[in-house]
Amino acid sequence: MTISGQVALVTGGSRGIGAAVCRRLARDGVAVAVNYRSSEGAAKSVVRDIEEHGGRAITVAGDVADAGEVGAMTEQVIRELGGLDILVNNAGVSQDALLYDMAMDAWLDVMRVNFGGVFHCTRAVLPHLMAKGAGAIVNVSSVMGERGWIGESNYAASKGAVNAFTRCAALEAARFGVRVNAVLPGFVPTDLVSALVEGDGGKSIRKQIPARRLGTTEEIADAVRFLAGPESSYMTGSLLTVDGGAAAVLGAGRP
Amino acid sequence: MDRHEITEIVTTAVVDGLGAEPDEVTPDATLLDDLSAESIDLLDILFRLERALKVKIQAAQLAEYVQGGIPDEEFGDADEIITEKGLAQLLRVMPQIDPDELRGTLKARRVMSLFTVDNLVDLVIHRMAVDAMEAGTPERAEVPA
Repeated sequence: MTISGQVALVTGGSRGIGAAVCRRLARDGVAVAVNYRSSEGAAKSVVRDIEEHGGRAITVAGDVADAGEVGAMTEQVIRELGGLDILVNNAGVSQDALLYDMAMDAWLDVMRVNFGGVFHCTRAVLPHLMAKGAGAIVNVSSVMGERGWIGESNYAASKGAVNAFTRCAALEAARFGVRVNAVLPGFVPTDLVSALVEGDGGKSIRKQIPARRLGTTEEIADAVRFLAGPESSYMTGSLLTVDGGAAAVLGAGRP
Repeated sequence: MDRHEITEIVTTAVVDGLGAEPDEVTPDATLLDDLSAESIDLLDILFRLERALKVKIQAAQLAEYVQGGIPDEEFGDADEIITEKGLAQLLRVMPQIDPDELRGTLKARRVMSLFTVDNLVDLVIHRMAVDAMEAGTPERAEVPA
């Protein structure tokens, strides 16, 4: 059993970590459905890039926050790529603000995409994977779901929901041969966290990371690839931190 | 495929789905009470049957099949006790039950606890017949799509 020849749906696959995951999976022979909501041009560019490297990919439009669109998207992937083996729930948004200033509906907007998307896609894909008795679901969550950060209360709560959901879904899917795991990235320079690293170029954040640098989208994609493939066949319900040690920090002490 | 073969496949699915001992899974063993199947176990058994027999049975269809399309208010009375009409239907799909013993005491929510391995075999055979009819003649249904 190798990952080559399998089919993956990657939500939010047009940019950032999602695009790196699409390229990484395609490199190992996975046919990839690159989902996007608004960035059609970027999604097509990811597909073109994969095709130029001899891979197979399509774009699929759809808002993961909308259950109906997710259902249609799942059907489209199975129809056009001939099946579905891997789901990477990557689509995410943030609306950072101090809780004191946060709009009353800012929790729901973030929750609809970050957790709603994971729920909808998992729910839509699971019967297909269960019927086959095989499959892997990888949720791109965040260390924020397990730790705190000023200004990210709504985002952190949505990722905490993803982490809890990952464990429960893993329990229910395990006996059907379907694994559910999550990658918890730390700080990776993408559009999503641009506000955090702008200004001083992320210097103040880097000082708080034991590895003294931000992560790359490729490093996150490697972890997703591992959890999507047979190398992690006995792993399910795991939350895999990829953060340069950031979540291990209690405080920056001295001997 | 005859009833004997289907019984073997259903028994295997129940043994594997429940992690039960083969000698526990007799035709007259009830899935919920005797074999302690939980909802996820039933789902597991149904997916095993789907893979082995290409027959798709939704978990919700189990109860629908047992109730035979009788509306809730006609199936049970105000106290949820199964009506005469309901008992007659139950006897059709679960011929092993004794209506005299259950009359006036059986509650709707307890109905599924009477469902046996053999009743599941009947359901599978029923479902395969329905699928074959919907796909055309039984002969044509055997041609791979």
